[in-house]
Amino acid sequence: MRKKSRYRPLKIGDFVIILFFLSALFFLPRIEGRKVRITVDKGKEYIYSLMEDRVLEIRGQIGVTKVAIKDGRVRVLEAPCPLKLCRQKGWIKKKGDQIICIPNGILICIEGERFDAITE
Amino acid sequence: MQSLNRIAYISIFTAGAISLFVVESLIPQPIPGIRLGLANIFILLALLTFGFREALLVGILKSVVGSLIIARLLTPSFLFSISGTIMSIIIMALAVRYLRSVSLVGISILGAETHTFIQILIATYLFIGKASFVYLLVPFVLLSLITGSITGICTYWLYERTEGKIEFAKAP
Repeated sequence: MRKKSRYRPLKIGDFVIILFFLSALFFLPRIEGRKVRITVDKGKEYIYSLMEDRVLEIRGQIGVTKVAIKDGRVRVLEAPCPLKLCRQKGWIKKKGDQIICIPNGILICIEGERFDAITE
Repeated sequence: MQSLNRIAYISIFTAGAISLFVVESLIPQPIPGIRLGLANIFILLALLTFGFREALLVGILKSVVGSLIIARLLTPSFLFSISGTIMSIIIMALAVRYLRSVSLVGISILGAETHTFIQILIATYLFIGKASFVYLLVPFVLLSLITGSITGICTYWLYERTEGKIEFAKAP
């Protein structure tokens, strides 16, 4: 009988390695939207890249809403509305996520990207 | 004096790796950059039968000569190939030395993952931009698991048949 090689496939360590990479996938952040669209009063539209960090001041119906873009995420910093629901929403980052501020007439929406890395 | 025997064996392994590399490049790739990594069979075999230095030699020769044959020398794809190969050989050598309870499948998966990781790292820093790093990583890590296992099983079949039969002759 041939002696058993130490490299014989599927030992316990293999499963550890496979599980390690699968779990690493699980912890990676989801595919993120690349642009944010801000609509004011159903008319004016602004589109910003999520790739650069900045603070925007957007004039709405009742005042100025401060919006921060950082590390591919968006949140409302300051809002003139009474309930501050838009601020409580916190950071949004996934495609399709929205922050809506009805009193101020502002809609912030994360857009997916149209181009893949190669055409880019 | 270096034994001729050693040079001959390294050439045979390199030839095997290069031919697999070239044949593989003829297969159309569904998504650019995804290949089976069959050349890794011979690199891993060299690592097991001879050692780190010989494997590194086979790997570098495979990248340079293989790219020369498929006319991609000094293009980005050559850059990915050689850096990924060198790094994956280092990782596989460490795995062979220190991870006792891992079989060839695991070692090969580690090599494949390292190769893709380095490739994407270079691609993002040189060409695409940092933001898409994570974006690319997910499908590539999954595919490397599959291709790594296939390569690992192939290597085991070959290693099983050659174990103990290939040795360097003593230098006279």
